[in-house]
Amino acid sequence: MMEQLIANGIIYGCIIALAAIGLSLAYRILNFANFAHGEFLTLGAYFALFFAAILNLGFPAACFLAIAATAAFGVALDLLAWRPMRSSGASRTAIMILSIGLSIAIRNALIIFFRPDALRFPLPVSRGMSIYGMSITPLQIEVVLIASAAMLLVHALLSRTALGKSMRALADNPDLARISGINVDRVIRFTWAVSMGLAALAGIMYGLITHLNPNMGWSIILPMFAAAILGGIGNAYGAMAGGLIIGISQEISTAFLPAEYKIAVSFLIMIAVLLFRPRGLTGGG
Amino acid sequence: MADDILSVNSVRKSFGGISALDGCSLRVKEGAIVGLIGPNGAGKSTLFDVISGFVQPDAGRILFSSREILGMPAYKIARLGLVRTFQIPRSLMRMTVLENMMLGAQGQAGERIHLTLLCRGRVMAQEKDIKEKAEEILQFFDLLRMRDEYAGSLSGGQKKMLEMARALMADPRLLLLDEPFAGVNPALADRLIERIRILKERGLSMVIIEHAIPYVLALSDRLYVLNKGAVLASGHPQEVISDRRVFEAYLGEGDNAQP
Amino acid sequence: MLDYLVSIILTAGIYAIFALGLNLQWGYAGLLNFGHVAFMAIGAYLTVLLSMNGIPIFLAVLAGMILAGAAGASLGVATLRLREDYLAIVTIGFSEILRFVLLNWSSLTRGSFGLFGYPRPFQDLVGMRDYNLFLAGLVIAVLLMVYALLEALSRSPWGRVLKSVRDDEAVAVSLGKNAFSYKVQAIALGSAIAALSGSLLAFYLQYINPNNFQPVETFYAWIMVILGGSGNNRGTILGALLLWGFFSTTRFMEGYLSFSPSASSAARMILIGLILIGLMMFRPQGLLGREEELSIGR
Repeated sequence: MMEQLIANGIIYGCIIALAAIGLSLAYRILNFANFAHGEFLTLGAYFALFFAAILNLGFPAACFLAIAATAAFGVALDLLAWRPMRSSGASRTAIMILSIGLSIAIRNALIIFFRPDALRFPLPVSRGMSIYGMSITPLQIEVVLIASAAMLLVHALLSRTALGKSMRALADNPDLARISGINVDRVIRFTWAVSMGLAALAGIMYGLITHLNPNMGWSIILPMFAAAILGGIGNAYGAMAGGLIIGISQEISTAFLPAEYKIAVSFLIMIAVLLFRPRGLTGGG
Repeated sequence: MADDILSVNSVRKSFGGISALDGCSLRVKEGAIVGLIGPNGAGKSTLFDVISGFVQPDAGRILFSSREILGMPAYKIARLGLVRTFQIPRSLMRMTVLENMMLGAQGQAGERIHLTLLCRGRVMAQEKDIKEKAEEILQFFDLLRMRDEYAGSLSGGQKKMLEMARALMADPRLLLLDEPFAGVNPALADRLIERIRILKERGLSMVIIEHAIPYVLALSDRLYVLNKGAVLASGHPQEVISDRRVFEAYLGEGDNAQP
Repeated sequence: MLDYLVSIILTAGIYAIFALGLNLQWGYAGLLNFGHVAFMAIGAYLTVLLSMNGIPIFLAVLAGMILAGAAGASLGVATLRLREDYLAIVTIGFSEILRFVLLNWSSLTRGSFGLFGYPRPFQDLVGMRDYNLFLAGLVIAVLLMVYALLEALSRSPWGRVLKSVRDDEAVAVSLGKNAFSYKVQAIALGSAIAALSGSLLAFYLQYINPNNFQPVETFYAWIMVILGGSGNNRGTILGALLLWGFFSTTRFMEGYLSFSPSASSAARMILIGLILIGLMMFRPQGLLGREEELSIGR
């Protein structure tokens, strides 16, 4: 029984982890909590649905396109909204409230275009297999594999590419990085692209293992923030670990609490972190 | 020693890997003025931050009137009578000069929500007293005519005066002045020297960080020179100034990175 | 006509009280509460549940205010020593969790089925016919009292300290003020005021369920506060009237454009989102705030 919960937790945790990486990096580099981050997950999923179901592209192609589209959307958003706010010296509060407004607008635009009902990707239903007494679907295994691959890619990006290293430098020590000649605007745009791309992937996977609805991203914004804070804001590896911990904790909690209260677990973990170790596991924040 | 109002012992503080204070010790006798000089980045303002409780040191002891204050929250230290000013004046721009001043008063019943709502008479009487005191101190600093102006509209020199005036409202026994003469023109500076001397006569102890050596020499009973987070020399101002090492420390100022 | 006026007073008035609580927290204390609706919910639900179990209505309302104040203070204590935006994250999380608990703790709250048939103040005395008129009067009275209280506090030494904590905490601390304590007090009081508005909402609607307390309601309050110029109580009340005007106009237009109900409420939400975005990008000082003040720009 416990193994099943842990397995479920890993699957769910991978998705949270992917989403949290982008949230955490963007939080640190752009210095604000982006409450619209959940909507990027939702957008990724709906883009994929659009490309697959309406334009009838093969599902993998649809996913790639969706990730690219969401990343492009992120960069456009930076040019249209975040950058002007930064240049005009807007306060962190104003930018956060703007992100709330964006979140509300995007969510409700999706409700109008796609209706508020739950939708599914046009894929055959994945049947559960029995592995070591646990029920796991091939789709869930794929999700974990893809998520792991994505995390490895992120690791490679951050440690081997110049742009990735600049991102880490900017996240670790913004002031020092700025002085040392990094092209801050370029790194910021790249950060958005990576952040949104990961969010889109997370959204697609979430849609795969559950279903799509316009509130899907918003419904897990709390675990995403909890994971980012647990891991230490600005630390991608912390976000990965945080996501998995949050996912597993939430699933294990269903052994003791009614399943509906799962989400409260991430809230409690977040409060505990803020009370006892506000800088998170890696001391990032 | 018994008549030290402030005793700082071997205080250490690092930020990240960089050492800002490296075993710094300092004593202030009751009723004395201590000058604190040193090249940029020596740790003078950090020392003020540590003494006043804004920054917690990694090691050391700080005694204020024989009472250990290390680890005490900054607001409690201020209430004990140890008040500091800031190097760049922090006037509350959206409040008037008078409001800035009245903020400084201690023991205000009206600052407690239940008292301010229920004991109107007592609070209003206290406000009247505080206002009188504020106007008296503003007069002392030639700022009375600005009392209803927004603090944001004051000149740099006036903001410096307000900074000090406001600190005096808090009935300090020890005042930490961070570069009180910075940006103050020579005529005003002479007046300021006079005022500081009067305050000393009234029993106020002070530690003054200052870059302009003449002012610090004119006022200090004792002089400390800080370099790289530790005390390089201390003693009678004239002797300390003539110490060759002090001169060399300032020469090396170009090499010192700002912490 | 009178009915129309009464409904204006009731809706705009209750939301004005709600927003005044937020104005204390943001406009005067500079605190980021993104979960204000949770405290309204606490007020509504506790008042209803207690009064349904025989507790006198007045005490039930008071209990709601106290619990909300305590909850707000707890969240504050957990986060106020940290970055200001952590309070935003924690409060938004709290409001979502609370709504969740209200939805799922069916044995207590009857979940999405909601609660109704609960006692209202002086219901027997006033009678059904004129009750809304009476309630409108009550709302105005409460609004005036809250307004007077906040104005008095603003001009008091307590208010002076609070404003100094908002503008430059280091200065307040250097003058012996316990900044942390003041922020907690502001949160507690603002939350209690939100709870009061929740109780009044319950009396007006005669039926409450968790969907009355969605996170977006918090941002209605933010719009009201920002429109009027943060820190300006009169402005907040004006903001409430303006927002109410917006809702009425859009509901009016719905009749002409034949959207489906869910599409039209979604369209209204999109407008709300755009208003928030627009305000932040182009006019953070609102309509009554001054450019120099730029209260949102810190």
